[in-house]
Amino acid sequence: MRKESKRTLYICLGALVPLFTLFSPPFFSIGGVGPEWAVLWILPWALEEGPLSGIFAGFCLGMILDGISLYGATHTPALILLGYWWGLLGRKQKFFDKVFLLGLLGWLGSFISGIFLWLQNIFLVTEGKLFFYNVWSFHTILAASIMTGLIAPILCSIILRAFFSGKNLKVIFI
Amino acid sequence: MLKKRRKAAFRWWLNRGIWYWFVVAVFLVFVRFSKGALILDTFSLISRPFWPGSAQREWISNGIDLEQEIRLRLLEKDNERLRKLLKLKTTSKQTLLSAAVISRRARDFWQLLDLNKGSLHGVSVGDAVLGPGGLLGIIDSVTSTTSTVRLLTAPGTKVGVWIEETKVHGVLLGIGTNRPQLNFLDKAPNAKAGDVVSTSPASTLMPPNLPVGVIQFINFENLPSPYGFVQLIASPEAIDWVQIKKLK
Repeated sequence: MRKESKRTLYICLGALVPLFTLFSPPFFSIGGVGPEWAVLWILPWALEEGPLSGIFAGFCLGMILDGISLYGATHTPALILLGYWWGLLGRKQKFFDKVFLLGLLGWLGSFISGIFLWLQNIFLVTEGKLFFYNVWSFHTILAASIMTGLIAPILCSIILRAFFSGKNLKVIFI
Repeated sequence: MLKKRRKAAFRWWLNRGIWYWFVVAVFLVFVRFSKGALILDTFSLISRPFWPGSAQREWISNGIDLEQEIRLRLLEKDNERLRKLLKLKTTSKQTLLSAAVISRRARDFWQLLDLNKGSLHGVSVGDAVLGPGGLLGIIDSVTSTTSTVRLLTAPGTKVGVWIEETKVHGVLLGIGTNRPQLNFLDKAPNAKAGDVVSTSPASTLMPPNLPVGVIQFINFENLPSPYGFVQLIASPEAIDWVQIKKLK
């Protein structure tokens, strides 16, 4: 398949993000919290396509995810930030050459996005009261980060090799 | 020849790519402000084969029996009191609509369920959603074939409740944990752990006297007014079928 049509196919696969979020398969979740599928989609995309595409993808996925959640906190700023950051990282090719780094980036991305949502919940939704019992959010953040970090090295390396050139990717399977 | 034409056709939209992406972005903004109308409807269409079967209805009917027992007692007392005081003739129209849970995100940042009945079936924003045992949540947004339920445990959900036995009123506030917080309105409420909490008849937002939960713990020393934690009767993690009670 040509490169462009692979890329188009990957954009179409972005429709799986809201579907997976809605299905929230129980075998992919810790205590009912699943991985952040949007982060898993954006990571290979931004690494390969650069900061501008990353920002745009973050905006689009943020809009979709906000559409299927309740009013209040929003996903969009965190996803835009991640898209931009990973776009910049993708340009520095020396930095990005290990499969396991994908796991770390997925973990960090999910953690950052969770922290953004948590801060919004504190300062916007519950109107500035720093509830001590908001610690339940930590469970959500950590569970989502762990699942994302575990899935990212496998899924994203497959994606990078199947849909993009994957030439930057050095696989360390013995 | 054919291949060349295909290539050209491919580039045709790539060259104007940025405007197409702009249209896509505008469309997604529309999706966001329509609260996922198209996405949820598509999901409801796709997930139709996976909707929970009717086997759970029987299990639910057992739970409903218990719920009916509690509610019958509450309603009878309430009716008696009302008739004594006001001599009102109340006609209670039971408009219950059963719906399947097609997406369950009870432990996420947003604690919500998606149901397979929408505005086409007469569901509207603000309707009460009952599980086996009692109130589960409130309809937060509606598309044509789906509706989204904000659970009682979700942060920011507020429901006016009372303890029927002692007529103590309070506000049930979701704080994200399994047990929502009950803020009493009095300084010295006549309440104790173990009291059954039901929706308040003074509330105009919810149907009155739906069983909600049991008080687990009360902190009487809190200022300005005591609070408690309520164990909900209905558990959203295990439910496949719910009932929607229309407000009107």
